[in-house]
Amino acid sequence: MIDTPAPAERALGLRLYVAGDAPNSVAALVHLRAALAELPADRVDLEIIDVLQEPERGLRDDVLMTPMLVRHRPAPERRVLGNLGAARALRNVLVIEEAHDE
Amino acid sequence: MKREPTATSVQRMATGIPGFDEIMDGGLPRGGVTVILGGPGAGKTIFGMQVLSSGARDHGEPGILVGFEESADRIVANTAGFVWGGETLKAHGVHVLDAQLSQSIEQDGEFDLVGLLAMLAAKAKQVGAKRVVFDGLDILLAHLGDATLVRREVFRLRDWVHRSGLSAIVTAKADAAEARPSADYDFLQFMADCVVMLHHRVVHGTALRFVRVAKYRGAAHSANELPLTITRAGIEIAANTAIGLDYVASTERISSGIERLDAMLSGGYYRGSSVVITGAPGTARTSLAAAFAEAAAARGEHTLYISFDESPDQIVRNVASIGIDLARYLQAGVLRVHALRAGAESPETHVARIRSLLREARPQNLVIDPLSALTQRGYVEDSEGAALQILDLAKTAGISVVSTSLLGSSLPLTDQAPLNIATAADIWMHLSYVNQGGERNRAITIIKARGTGHSNQVRELVLTSAGVTLADVYSVGGEVLMGTLRWEKENDARRTRAAAQHGAMLREQKAELALAETKARVVTLAREQAIQEAELQQIRADAAIDVGHRAGEADELLHRRRADPASHSADAGAEPSAAP
Repeated sequence: MIDTPAPAERALGLRLYVAGDAPNSVAALVHLRAALAELPADRVDLEIIDVLQEPERGLRDDVLMTPMLVRHRPAPERRVLGNLGAARALRNVLVIEEAHDE
Repeated sequence: MKREPTATSVQRMATGIPGFDEIMDGGLPRGGVTVILGGPGAGKTIFGMQVLSSGARDHGEPGILVGFEESADRIVANTAGFVWGGETLKAHGVHVLDAQLSQSIEQDGEFDLVGLLAMLAAKAKQVGAKRVVFDGLDILLAHLGDATLVRREVFRLRDWVHRSGLSAIVTAKADAAEARPSADYDFLQFMADCVVMLHHRVVHGTALRFVRVAKYRGAAHSANELPLTITRAGIEIAANTAIGLDYVASTERISSGIERLDAMLSGGYYRGSSVVITGAPGTARTSLAAAFAEAAAARGEHTLYISFDESPDQIVRNVASIGIDLARYLQAGVLRVHALRAGAESPETHVARIRSLLREARPQNLVIDPLSALTQRGYVEDSEGAALQILDLAKTAGISVVSTSLLGSSLPLTDQAPLNIATAADIWMHLSYVNQGGERNRAITIIKARGTGHSNQVRELVLTSAGVTLADVYSVGGEVLMGTLRWEKENDARRTRAAAQHGAMLREQKAELALAETKARVVTLAREQAIQEAELQQIRADAAIDVGHRAGEADELLHRRRADPASHSADAGAEPSAAP
């Protein structure tokens, strides 16, 4: 807890693109938060982008479907579309990284 | 089915696809959703991009394509082969959004279109879009999986389109061979304002494409399958409709390019009429067609010469040898020669190509050489239709068309032409070879000429380096003479005429001679008469003197006989009877 890495240096860089309070978007956020709860908070940098508020972000990042989870760090980038309720792809994206890191 | 007055109930959006807007009474429903269904390679994406391009370029309506199946780069690259496509699309106001689902994206749980539509709305506002295409929606639906989710998202999309004021096209893959697509597609068709089917099948090794409008909410429409072609101009529909030029059918005569042929036709072809020249190979069909093109170009009229399987250069060179100078008019731009490869495409494709050439060049005169190229490769059922369509196309546009057609047989005047085109045409002329005296000569016959007095005589077609002309032919004992035999016959006639002239002169001279002789004899006789008359007078005068003498002499005699009878003894002895 002494030397908490700055967000930009944390091992896992995530962006979740949501569409306001659309049910799938809300569900995706809930499922992601639940999964991340199992990881040390200082390892994860999560940004949540609401394309209803910032549509140009989605257009610029070529993310047109929601909800979409983008793991931009570490490379290679991975994208998971959906409310993450099945948790398969989500776990893959997070767990593989976990194993690799240790 | 209730038919409503068209164009009033539904606002239209012109697609810019030639032929399509005509059959659709102006285009697709404005502010509505049109679903385009078709198999792979049927041209769905091209359809969508062409509508966007036309909207942006011709109607000031920018557009956005959202691609679910292919990357944005690939979609743009695929349009590069079209005159309206490629990298310049964006500058004109056609934007492509990459919503590709297939690559590198894993799926975990349900998703929806809420975010997509929000971003699309923002983009539409930013670029002022009026048209939007959702390309490859079937891919999206497949990812949604569940039928309930499919319905929910399709409705969401439809409602969003109706609220947004944009006009939308949704393309989806459907197996053209299957009459009935899946329930998803039924639903897609149900919710759409308009459904257009693109079909694609292979006949005789050539791809034939068709379009059919399966649904048009609130408007009458033709549900017929119509031929569709894809050329460099993009998609075209070969609707049997007028091209929309505004020439008026006329009673004006235009030259066939051959003075004596004009005379045979009472002044030439009617403007806007169709002429078919049939004949065996080498009977100079092209020469006749080129003569027409030259005359038309010389009048300054835009003329399109469509050549099947012969390059423009080749034609120009060949007809130059008979004194027809097309090169001059090509340079001047009044004449355009366009070569097509007959076997490369289906007849319908050629019709579409010719249609787009007509639209682009807007000529007053059209030459198609040969129209019978369309009958190659066994497209029997389609080829006549295609040929007739071209004639019809030209006719409705008021374009004068001269086409040639190959007839295998060199026998003239059989009533069975291989194509109905000959009978559909206004003027049908036949060229044939006549074998005679070791020569083959070309004969031309006007088989029919609608609304035109025409000579029913066969003429010989003579090609010289100075041009094409016709020569009278001689009919001797039921046989028509041509070529050298005609020349000989002409010489015979000249000789006969000369001989007759000479004979007449001789006879005149003879008659003059006879007259002169008679006159001379009259003079001679008159002189003889005068001499004879003179002689007669002399004789009479002499006679009178004699009588007087005799009386005196008798007295003398008597006197002398007495006085001197011895001196007159001889006399006395000679005239013993006188002595009593």
